[in-house]
Amino acid sequence: MELLDNLALGFSVAFSFQNLTYALLGCLLGTLIGVLPGIGPVATIAMLLPITFHLPPTASLIMLAGIYYGAAYGGSTTSILVNLPGEASSVVTCLDGYQMARNGRAGAALSISAVGSFFAGTVGTIIIVLFAEPLTRMAQKFGPADYCSLMALGLVAAVILASGSVVKAIAMIFLGLLFGLVGTDVNTGAQRFTFDIPELSDGIDFAPIAMGLFGIAEIVVNLERHLTRTGGTIKVTSLWPTMEEVRRAVPAALRGTFLGAALGVLPGGGPTLGAFSSYTLEKKISKNPGQFGKGAVEGVAAPEAANNAAAQTSFIPMLTLGIPSNAVMALMVGAMIIQGIQPGPEVMTKKPDLFWGMIASMWIGNAMLVIINLPMIGIWVKLLTVPYRFLAPAILLFCCIGAYSLQNSTFHVMQVAIFGVLGYVFVKLGCEGAPFLLGLVLGPQMEEYFRRAMLLSRGDAMVFLQRPISLGLLITTAVLLLLMALPSFKRARKEAFVEEEG
Amino acid sequence: MNRFLSKDFLSGLMFIGFGLVALYFGQKLALGTPVRMGPGYVPRMLSLTLLGLGVLVCIIAVVSGSEPVERPKWKPITLVTLGIICFGLLFERAGLIPALVVLIMVASLAGEEFKLTEVIGNIVVLSVLCTLVFKVGLGMNIYILRGVW
Repeated sequence: MELLDNLALGFSVAFSFQNLTYALLGCLLGTLIGVLPGIGPVATIAMLLPITFHLPPTASLIMLAGIYYGAAYGGSTTSILVNLPGEASSVVTCLDGYQMARNGRAGAALSISAVGSFFAGTVGTIIIVLFAEPLTRMAQKFGPADYCSLMALGLVAAVILASGSVVKAIAMIFLGLLFGLVGTDVNTGAQRFTFDIPELSDGIDFAPIAMGLFGIAEIVVNLERHLTRTGGTIKVTSLWPTMEEVRRAVPAALRGTFLGAALGVLPGGGPTLGAFSSYTLEKKISKNPGQFGKGAVEGVAAPEAANNAAAQTSFIPMLTLGIPSNAVMALMVGAMIIQGIQPGPEVMTKKPDLFWGMIASMWIGNAMLVIINLPMIGIWVKLLTVPYRFLAPAILLFCCIGAYSLQNSTFHVMQVAIFGVLGYVFVKLGCEGAPFLLGLVLGPQMEEYFRRAMLLSRGDAMVFLQRPISLGLLITTAVLLLLMALPSFKRARKEAFVEEEG
Repeated sequence: MNRFLSKDFLSGLMFIGFGLVALYFGQKLALGTPVRMGPGYVPRMLSLTLLGLGVLVCIIAVVSGSEPVERPKWKPITLVTLGIICFGLLFERAGLIPALVVLIMVASLAGEEFKLTEVIGNIVVLSVLCTLVFKVGLGMNIYILRGVW
């Protein structure tokens, strides 16, 4: 069977000593940042992009993926033990996880969350394996016009599921697209928006933008808010849950896994949405909803499984179609482009070792994380006591050295400073960075496909409506845009994100 | 609170600003025809759309109101940016250690607590760590202290 052959290839790649090391390194780093409040996965991956520049492509993507799902595990640890969500996706875990810990069930909550996450990660990986080939085959039939419409749909859908004002988010996409145009025009060689700066003729490098917008801006905002840590640390006793707890957690984790996996595939979806939705679902179908918020096992098992399943399945659109569905995936696309790999259906056919190796390593990484998180829990708790005033300057320093190492030029360090300021302005004005990043990553490709489509159709824009695939995608985009204008949908969207902001 | 100092109105202005800048600097780029687009075609389209969206954001902000902007604290953003710029200026001219010392000093001032002994400790630990990792470990071609190593 072809599928098994592919998986065998993947595991042989992932089990090489080098890739195992990078997977472990990624998982450790991910857990670390998940535990430390104030540095999210987006900021970390942004700041580590320069390092991956010096690694082989497979190893670098394996490491970045490890950081991504490692952060999900680490975030749940702090949610349960100190009531501090390291990540947005583990905010809901705080509600019942911390209460369980206060009732003396900290160990049980931790192991349920870790094992639930592992199970969800396994299912998520299987889903990627099953969907990757059909989706890739479908994507290979796409013409330039279809691709252009697909990207439009991806960008619009990402906005709908994100929080905040829709018009502003769409404007941010266009701003990102414009920034993506800086550099030499591929077709004519003309210099666009380069202001005669030679460093800009290859375009603005992706890594300094991401580091500035997410890394620096996040540090500055944290310094402003003066991060303080409250709440006593809770001692972990036995890691074993009782039979009763297991009986209640298993079905909840199952539901969380499938809901999370489904939501992860959607553009704009991902771990946070998955966790929130599954918590709401559990509360709705529970026989005694009054227990939620007071230490209900279901309230830990379901969202933890959901955020991990979603973290896995959100790789599907990125790996098969080259369309990132959230900021982390946009960074992964950026990392691939830095390595000279154009994300899209060709990755699977032309670089099967990279594609399947990465998928296999996700499962290995998930297994590593259970070990990293459960027996080593004490070390992570200790890390919580490192004050932010030591961390912030250190992170800044690594950012600067990382930016310099991209091309051994201080020009990139200055770029980080500029985009740090821009990122700060975005935060202050309530403009989200994620749509900007998606636009930036997709901009050059989208222009390329658009121009090619128009050339093939001899300048007739109707081509986008005449090709059935493109038409279908555009209709979906239009329906989504119309939906957003409806008041009832607006309200529902607002409600879905209310808890998150609190 | 002034309704023109709201988050949305100011972001609208920002989009309009970026749109105008892109239009201005893109005006020399050849537009071409829809069949054979010049380098200026897509930028023109995008900047006009951005301009339009900016106006829309402004109108919505004035009509239905939006949250007021939080007053920015100037200290963190200024000092952090200044620290990075100093690092950039010193790194090649003077070497890693001087750049590191200035960056950590300036960045530590950006926080609310500043204890000199702690900052010096931080600098020593980071200097040793960075030298070991980047110069010895990764073998990067950088000066630790220009003229010395």
